[in-house]
Amino acid sequence: MADYDRRGGGGGGRGGGGGGYNRKRRYRDDNEDDNHYRGNNSRRRYDAPPHVRLRKQLIAIAENPMIERHDEISQIANLFTDNWDDDVLLRGNFTDLVLQLCVEQPLKTPFLAGVLMVVNTNKPEAMDLLLEKAARLIEDKLREGGWRDVKLYLKLVGCLQGVLEGEGVFGVLGELFERAVGLQTASSEDTIGTEIVKIILLTLPYVMAAGSPEQVQQEWQQKAADLLENTAIIASEPHPLQAVIEPYHPEAGEENPAQSQSLISLLQAQLQAEAAQGWALSCLPRPWQFPVGEVETVAKLASAKKHVLPNIVIPKTVVRGPRPLFPEVYISVYGQQEVESVPPPTSLASSLIRDALLDTINVLHFNRNATARQLIEVDCYFAPRTFALRGTPFDRLRDIEKSKSTWKPEDVAVDAVFTQLFLLPNPEHKLVYYHSVLTEACKLAPAAIAPSLGRAIRYLYRNAPRMDLELAYRFMDWFSHHLSNFGFTWKWTEWVDDVELSGLHPRKAFIVGSIDKEIRLSFAQRIKNTLPEPYQKLIGPEKEKDVPDFKFANDDTPFAAEGREIAALLKRKAPDEEIDAVIQRIQSQAIDRDLDALVASTDVFVTCVLYVGSKSLSHVLAAIERTKDRLADAGAASDASRTQIIEAVMTYWSVHPGVALSIVEKLLNYSILTPLTVINWALNVQAGKTRGEALAWAHMYELVFNTVIKVTGRVRQLVVKASQPDEMVDDETRDNEVRNMRELFRAIEDSLGAWAGGTKDEMLESNARGEEDGLVRRWGTRWLRVFKRRQAIEEAFLVEAVRERERREEVRKEWEVVERQRREERERKEAEEKERNGANGAEEKKKENGVEGEVNIIE
Amino acid sequence: MRAVRATVDRLDRPSAYFNNARHKRRRFDKDQRDGDDDTAGMHPENREDDDPLKNATTLYVGNLSFFTTEEQVYELFSKCGEIKRLVMGLDRFNKTPCGFCFVEYYTHQDALDCMKYIGGTKLDERIIRTDLDPGFEEGRQYGRGKSGGQVRDEYREDYDEGRGGLGRAIAREREGKDFVDDGRLR
Repeated sequence: MADYDRRGGGGGGRGGGGGGYNRKRRYRDDNEDDNHYRGNNSRRRYDAPPHVRLRKQLIAIAENPMIERHDEISQIANLFTDNWDDDVLLRGNFTDLVLQLCVEQPLKTPFLAGVLMVVNTNKPEAMDLLLEKAARLIEDKLREGGWRDVKLYLKLVGCLQGVLEGEGVFGVLGELFERAVGLQTASSEDTIGTEIVKIILLTLPYVMAAGSPEQVQQEWQQKAADLLENTAIIASEPHPLQAVIEPYHPEAGEENPAQSQSLISLLQAQLQAEAAQGWALSCLPRPWQFPVGEVETVAKLASAKKHVLPNIVIPKTVVRGPRPLFPEVYISVYGQQEVESVPPPTSLASSLIRDALLDTINVLHFNRNATARQLIEVDCYFAPRTFALRGTPFDRLRDIEKSKSTWKPEDVAVDAVFTQLFLLPNPEHKLVYYHSVLTEACKLAPAAIAPSLGRAIRYLYRNAPRMDLELAYRFMDWFSHHLSNFGFTWKWTEWVDDVELSGLHPRKAFIVGSIDKEIRLSFAQRIKNTLPEPYQKLIGPEKEKDVPDFKFANDDTPFAAEGREIAALLKRKAPDEEIDAVIQRIQSQAIDRDLDALVASTDVFVTCVLYVGSKSLSHVLAAIERTKDRLADAGAASDASRTQIIEAVMTYWSVHPGVALSIVEKLLNYSILTPLTVINWALNVQAGKTRGEALAWAHMYELVFNTVIKVTGRVRQLVVKASQPDEMVDDETRDNEVRNMRELFRAIEDSLGAWAGGTKDEMLESNARGEEDGLVRRWGTRWLRVFKRRQAIEEAFLVEAVRERERREEVRKEWEVVERQRREERERKEAEEKERNGANGAEEKKKENGVEGEVNIIE
Repeated sequence: MRAVRATVDRLDRPSAYFNNARHKRRRFDKDQRDGDDDTAGMHPENREDDDPLKNATTLYVGNLSFFTTEEQVYELFSKCGEIKRLVMGLDRFNKTPCGFCFVEYYTHQDALDCMKYIGGTKLDERIIRTDLDPGFEEGRQYGRGKSGGQVRDEYREDYDEGRGGLGRAIAREREGKDFVDDGRLR
């Protein structure tokens, strides 16, 4: 464990490197080298070179609440400027590191800007260097469609608006807006334009916070007002896709809050409100404003050199980037509380804090410990008094004076993670990443985070019935996984009343599904011990058996003797002919009994394979591998026979659906089952047999969802491959897969449409059950919505894949022209310079090259 | 081009254990197999182009309980992608699980994600350890400790219920001592 702990612990970003030393070294005795090392104390305590110290301090900026921010900023700035002449590594590294930090740890950007402002009072050339690099990086990211990075670099430059000449960032924002307008007028379904407007709106507050009150009033207020007036049209236009990504899906006629608000329309309204109040922007830190006491620094800052923002070429055509863009809506798990524990959606702080947190979460996916730490320490990165004290219990918020903030930093942080967990269609990373962030946050500060999570869980549980089904499933999956990391403890007693609800009730379905998932991660007896008495009956005795009963052990089962015989043959790996003989016997008996011969023999054979492999997944996979030809033949023989394969699997493992689902997945890989068979079995056979109740079973949803993802994943892979010239994917293969995918979606829609509309045969049959049929229809509607969305997304993907390729090509061509112009320009200037300066010029150029050389050195 | 060092450590890097062990194993292999491995002796970190983990899809998973089943491993590890193969670590003599396994994914990215999101979290209420692995080879599923299990379970001084109590070597030693102690106490 030592290895792991060391690695995990160093994650806070404070330690920098670490972890690289050789453990053995400490134990090595009598090593000359070691002795020398220990004996010479002065060598041990030597100060690291400035560029090393600077890196360490810059990375850790704003983390320590015990240090006065202004002291820290001055110190770092001085460390840099003091060594400007002596340490050549420093110049390039510093600017590179600042730019790296602002995309890797975006919460720190304003503080980095603070350092830069102080540096600028002493070494303005450093600011020029930084702005030049930032401008080039923004150009690069614009061409790639790296929209988040564009935003994060603009945020830094926005914070520097105070030392920019003329329009500064407003010029870039204005030009970006032109692009957005172009895109939006070209198509109402455009999402890139919306993304650009979002970036403009999120940059604007940082720009406005960068200036002195006079600057804001005299120069920028009007510019901001003009910009906001322009963006209003785009921001307020609801996107056609918004209905699809709506997290709540209330029943028809249900009393419910109006449709969720789109993030961008909220942002627009918040900014307009902020503008009306003269851009107070009270949550943003302004580390570049020094206390009046520090007369010298204040004066220096006021008279510091101003810089021209280098020209940023924004391509005429813009690309979407590597990730599909969708409209976003505002959600919170802490809405409707008696005391406000998170910023209300009317406040600009809600958007600014969340945006910074979301970037942090999604950027730092490679170290969840660091993510969790920054989330917990969110109050360090905003203006003092933005939040209530860390760890204030929710019950005590109401005791806080009216004038002070009641925003709980823990709630704000947890809320941000949940928006990603519940982001439709998909968050940026695998869902399990967001699980792991919550787990780490809970481990780091259990007393503060756990109660916040508890309140979130209660809110989600209450609202589960009206949540989109995909999200309700994500909630269940997270909930059970989270509990598995914390000893499976939960106050189940508070939901005790719901245990008696019908299996069709969404909350009961949540309870049953969660318990099943908990058992899958643990085992039945363990989970039973964590549940209060009323829940015990949900875990039957059959759940505690390691291996399900073999139905052919019972002589009353038809074909019992043959079943036992085949099982024995499989166990001793008998040759095919011997098995053939028994199967022949089953088939002829089946015909005598007026049964489908193929179905009968398939059931016996598959059940025997499962029984022989019942010890573990490896066993069953080995058993399937050995019998795959016969299984494939059985699957290919008839639709009914193929359906019987999945029927046998799901029946044999009905008590442990997790195992059944793993087996089905492998059978799909072997093409023994087809996706269509799985869907048909789940939505028609099984759902039919249970009169729709199966639609309430979480594992049934999981089965269908996984199957669909498998199919769509394959199509995507082929489409991407087909677009690469050196890959050998012929159009026919791809078109075939696309056709199959569409057929699958059509089949899903047909079945679910019938369940949702109440026209399924099983529902039309006699003795209608009013309430229960209503619930079944509701499940059908919720399912239908999920898979219609999936279909819409996949269709959009197919269209977008082509368009994006075209856009990339155009951007590439456009950029070639820009580069050529720039090269010519440079050459012309150089030639002019040479002519003018003669020998002097050569020397100067040498110096310039020197600086450039340093820039390339990393670390 | 060398990648820029991130401002925060990455969790999807092989552990120090792997790098050290690899270094040793290579020297060992060279002795054993008369140097048919032509990359032997090179320092692992200096050779990016022949990094055996560059496209690794397999993970070594450690610190499992002896009672953790394949199904439990599947359930957790599938959260990072479909599992291609799972090999449970077994006691060399009893052929019973001895607290580790190899998980193989279809893609390198899934393996990296698993390092980031699952390594260091709990399975069966134990913090598990994941490490990128160049790939399973027959024979590696068995414990290399003296008594058949993993080496770490030989000399472990703590009592770990999920991993057979005390370290086996220590347990044996104590059994002997107890006998003497008993005599003296009486």
